[in-house]
Amino acid sequence: MRLFLSLMNRPLLLLALLLSAYAPTHAIEAQGRAVMDQRHKALFQETCVSCHGPEKQKGKFRVDDLPFEIKDIETAEKWQKVLNQMNSGDMPPEDEKQPANAAKADFLDDLANVMVAARRSLGDQKGVITMRRLNRREYKNTLRELLGVDVNVSDLPADGGGGFDTVGANLFMSANQFEQYQLIGREAMEEAFAWQAAAGVDKKLHYEAETTTPIVKKFVEYQIDAQKRAQNWVQAVEEAAAKPENKDIVAKIRKESKNDSIFRREWARIPGAPNPRTFGFDKKGENDADLANDSLGAGWLKYHQYYMAQPAVEKGAYLGTQTRHPAELNVNYIELLVPFDWPVGDYIVRVKAAATKDAPPERRFLDFGIYARTGRVMATHEITGTMENPQVIEIPLTLTRSNMTRENRLLFVREKGSWDTNEEGGRKRAEAVKRNGIGPELTLWVDWIEVERVPKTDRPKPPGIAALGIPLDDKSPAPAAPEMRTALERFATEAFRGTTPPKEYIDRLLGLYDVRRKAGDKHSAALKETLAVVLSSPMYLYLAEPSPDEKRRPLTGMELATRLSYFLWSAPPDKQLLDLGRNGDLQKPEVLAAQTERLLNDPRAAGFLEAFTHQWLGLDRIDFFEVNRSLYPRFDTGTKVAAKGEIHETMAYLMRNNASLRDLLKSDYVLINRVLAHYYGIPGVKGDGYEKVSLPKDSPRGGLLGMAAIHFMGGNGERTSPVERGAWVLRKLLHDPPPPAPANVPAITRLAGKVLTTHERLLAHQEDPQCASCHRKIDPIGFGLENFDAAGQWRTEDSYMAVDANGKPDPKSKKTWTIEAAAALYKGPAFKDFFGLRDIIASKSDAFARSFSEALIEFALGRPPGFRDQPLIAGMIQQAGKKDLAIREFIHALVASQEFHTK
Amino acid sequence: MSTSPIRRRHFLQSSTALIALPALESLGFRRFASAAAPAVPPKRLVFLGFGWGITTESWFPDIKQPGADYTLPEGLKPLARHKADFSVVQGLWNKYSNDGHWGSTMWLTGANRFGEPGQNFHNSISADQVAAAKLGLDTRFASLQLNGSENAEASGHGPGLSMAWDVSGKPIGGHKGPVEAYHRLFSKDTTPIEQQKAMLAQKRSVLDTVMENARVMQRGLGKTDKGKLDEYFQGIRDIETRLSKDEQWIGVPQPKAPIPEPAPGLAGKEEIKIMYDIMLAAMQTDSTRVLTYRQPVSTLLTSIGIKVAPHDMSHYHSTMGEKLEASKLRDLTQSDLLAGFLDKLKATKEADGSRLFDNIALAYGSNIRTEHSLDNCPTLLTGGGAGIKLGHNIVAPKDTPLCNAWLTLLHGVGVNVERHGDSSGVLKELIA
Repeated sequence: MRLFLSLMNRPLLLLALLLSAYAPTHAIEAQGRAVMDQRHKALFQETCVSCHGPEKQKGKFRVDDLPFEIKDIETAEKWQKVLNQMNSGDMPPEDEKQPANAAKADFLDDLANVMVAARRSLGDQKGVITMRRLNRREYKNTLRELLGVDVNVSDLPADGGGGFDTVGANLFMSANQFEQYQLIGREAMEEAFAWQAAAGVDKKLHYEAETTTPIVKKFVEYQIDAQKRAQNWVQAVEEAAAKPENKDIVAKIRKESKNDSIFRREWARIPGAPNPRTFGFDKKGENDADLANDSLGAGWLKYHQYYMAQPAVEKGAYLGTQTRHPAELNVNYIELLVPFDWPVGDYIVRVKAAATKDAPPERRFLDFGIYARTGRVMATHEITGTMENPQVIEIPLTLTRSNMTRENRLLFVREKGSWDTNEEGGRKRAEAVKRNGIGPELTLWVDWIEVERVPKTDRPKPPGIAALGIPLDDKSPAPAAPEMRTALERFATEAFRGTTPPKEYIDRLLGLYDVRRKAGDKHSAALKETLAVVLSSPMYLYLAEPSPDEKRRPLTGMELATRLSYFLWSAPPDKQLLDLGRNGDLQKPEVLAAQTERLLNDPRAAGFLEAFTHQWLGLDRIDFFEVNRSLYPRFDTGTKVAAKGEIHETMAYLMRNNASLRDLLKSDYVLINRVLAHYYGIPGVKGDGYEKVSLPKDSPRGGLLGMAAIHFMGGNGERTSPVERGAWVLRKLLHDPPPPAPANVPAITRLAGKVLTTHERLLAHQEDPQCASCHRKIDPIGFGLENFDAAGQWRTEDSYMAVDANGKPDPKSKKTWTIEAAAALYKGPAFKDFFGLRDIIASKSDAFARSFSEALIEFALGRPPGFRDQPLIAGMIQQAGKKDLAIREFIHALVASQEFHTK
Repeated sequence: MSTSPIRRRHFLQSSTALIALPALESLGFRRFASAAAPAVPPKRLVFLGFGWGITTESWFPDIKQPGADYTLPEGLKPLARHKADFSVVQGLWNKYSNDGHWGSTMWLTGANRFGEPGQNFHNSISADQVAAAKLGLDTRFASLQLNGSENAEASGHGPGLSMAWDVSGKPIGGHKGPVEAYHRLFSKDTTPIEQQKAMLAQKRSVLDTVMENARVMQRGLGKTDKGKLDEYFQGIRDIETRLSKDEQWIGVPQPKAPIPEPAPGLAGKEEIKIMYDIMLAAMQTDSTRVLTYRQPVSTLLTSIGIKVAPHDMSHYHSTMGEKLEASKLRDLTQSDLLAGFLDKLKATKEADGSRLFDNIALAYGSNIRTEHSLDNCPTLLTGGGAGIKLGHNIVAPKDTPLCNAWLTLLHGVGVNVERHGDSSGVLKELIA
């Protein structure tokens, strides 16, 4: 480390030393220049210059004097025009001489990449880190650390606009945003005061699930009785209708009615037909016949009888399917309302449950969530308890001021995926009826549910509240002015991460408080308003590292503490870190390394790791679309949540154990929970959470390319997209990102509607040079991943159906083929199957390490990596390389670097 | 509805909605949303943007039929009854646009994303804000930015907080969904005037406090960071401007909302419909004269039963079939919604008896044509407010700056700026 640091002071030497060992992917980047290769001069001369040269300048555009090195925006725009015109096929014009396909593809390939390099070098911030405000996540975390509460910040506009959400240049501020900060700040104060007020409250509620049983029993009796009455009524109506004197009117009504039920609705027009009300059917003002007609069918009576026939209904309830409207009868889920007068706080929900003896493995999972109708599933558990020996599962639950309304505090449990949507629930139910004539078998039984609020009086007060040191409520007299002043100053200093604001600012705060008090506010209300202003002040919202003369300078200890904690926690530094910053110890390499370890071991590190992983790997795509559940019935909501969790759990595992980054490319283990164990068909998960499980030798799982969520992203929920997958691998794993999808490339339409294999369809990309220039790199990788279907399951076959004139798939046209995953990387090795491709990718771990390092730099420093970061990147890879690319080494190298210590 | 002269004078009429507003001059001059009752109805400018473009093959009229005598293409069929009252302009684009998923970011600005050295993103003022600087002086809101209530990325709009960008090219926030927009416009302030004044004073002292804090921070900063903090100052100044405006309007009651409060949770088609009603209400009450609406596309698809993902739909060329059907149905639904909006604009009468439609300039389109194609941006212009040629299939020379159309609209509504974005002049073909 020390050697490395001293080298860092002589960047040029280091650069020279390292460049030879770590040649970056694009030569352009190594030079920090954007240069078109001279070999393309020929194509230019042959095909462009005759119209755009010294003699003619069609369209007032001349290319013969276009510099091959792009050094300014004007030149970049000209080259962009060349790229656009050739991509769109407008140039060269159809009737002019065309370049050879291969030469054109190479030209476009290089030019597109040179343009990316040019944009990067012209946009290079030259190491300058723009001051930034807290992004939405950090703002939320900072409120949590200061006040001990979680508030909803989704009303703030989303951050970003390319790159990570820590990049200051992309983090804007506006009047609307300021107003949102004010509102959220006020809400955070309300929440914090409410938590303090309720700190000692304990509550407990016990609900016996058999409450459902008498309701079902009564409903069954009602259905049987009502059906009998309905039959009697129908018979009476039919008798009246059969009377010869009613012949004409009956014929008329029959003609108007689609079916018997509708016919019977018109009973009043048939002389002698009895009123349904005399048979006990009163639809309260609507047509009483509807109720009689409905009762005739006695919908799901058999299912309700089947329910009542189960063992242990007198002691608990089963989780079944939806039969009647839930308001009428609900055997689909159990609901439990947390009483409205229970305060905010941390709760535990306990469910005592069992799976029936015959329950198939995929039907032993229980969903927990809030408000079943819209089905927010918050946790899914496998039930391993038996009817003889049920188990108790515990689920943590936090209730905040946002859980005040009924739909935000009505808890539910149901069988996983039994009714995620009406469509999906209905489909499952219909399948079961087809199978057994009754409906979905009852597989889960619940004995009772408990909700308990655990008082936390021993927990230290959050730093912001502790700093105030004055009463928060109106029970005792309001503090005097000097006391208020000290309280406000301490609070502001805490909120401003250790920086005490000038006296004038505190004066103004005090003034605001006084004005509120004079306007009639009580102490607590005025205090909340005043503190909310602190939370929308710039010293709270911005991470400033002052440097009036624009000079780059070393960070102070306090600044370093803040930079480190926002890197590794996405949250403010705690007292220990601030103290070390303040006294200068943090700048000692061994102290810094030890603090880095401490921060990474703290639960708050999840704030970094999850956000980083999400953005680095582009996981937002997981939520861009829904899976087609009729094609992939097993990929239900619970499975999707679990699959997304696998990525984060794997990263967390690597970080916990300082494991190798290589494990993300290929590994002999997975981090899965019971839901995924079942989905993947991998045994060995013992507990209720995610665990490391060893894989059999021939398993396609292990590493990112074995994860269902990754493959799900590489499709559209229905079909796979080899292009999406190939581009993702190039971008994220191989550090060879294809240029952004070019605008205005003519679409290939001639294959539309034809029945072709995916392979055949994509081969069209190779024919047009505009497409081939990128797709020759992208598509082969996608082919190698075709064994994973759009929901990430392994498959060996795929099929395609053309759609008919009505847009419906035509089964007659169906073509099925065996997946052929063999291909060859462009100008690279060939592979026979997925395993071969995975090995090739795994062998390129240096490229992957580079992609990871660049992402870390951007996330940590809040600016895109530039040309001058090459030594830093190389240094990170080198240091990690000594320990088999152990993940924490990258972080240590970055934290120790000069860049990390410099404003 | 009665057509007696008295009623005509006293009420803005609408045959499609129950809208009754006192005519300003005759009910003992009471200001509502605008500063004064204009003798001539004011000009209004409206931009409606949808992210993922349209279906090229079935949305554009045949370029071989330029002029008034053209066959209405399939995608515009729902607009048939308004055929004489709108023009489709073909051949327009923003030449600097290269981002295939950004349907709205530069739509109204024409900026070059890479135009600023050392920056990876740059934008400039949008046409609506150019107009708001003049048309917004006399109304309660200088301009109104509306957004769909969903993630803008899913709808192909690209970066931005709305379609509007301020004079320094920074994004301007917008109101998300109908409920928020409605409340911004019509929520009653029943607080006594004295108390309102006291509250304004309090708001000002809050602003003074944070400004004090910002100034302390500013002292230590270098140039780039100062530039960043300037956004904060600008934000606060904008609020101050708004407060000054609020102060002018103290005692002027909020206009009575001509429509009921929208139900929460509306999405897709229903949301757009209600948002059009809110826009109409905003103009009827003269609360603002400049409006933009960044329409939802993703939830629109869901609301009309389309399961194809929105981005996927815009790539219908790869498989046609289901994706193409989805794309076409989207076109029809959007056209149908617009036709409904035009009905209401025509049915709403101004105080001088003219139609609201006659005093509005409305542009409807996207920076994306379809897929990643950014040329021939779909552009439909309507309304009698800017004096443009209506009822025509206008085929401009290929690659005419879209900003030429914006410049023409700006001039048409009386905002005589020299240029806008990358404009090279007004669009002659468009002038009636």
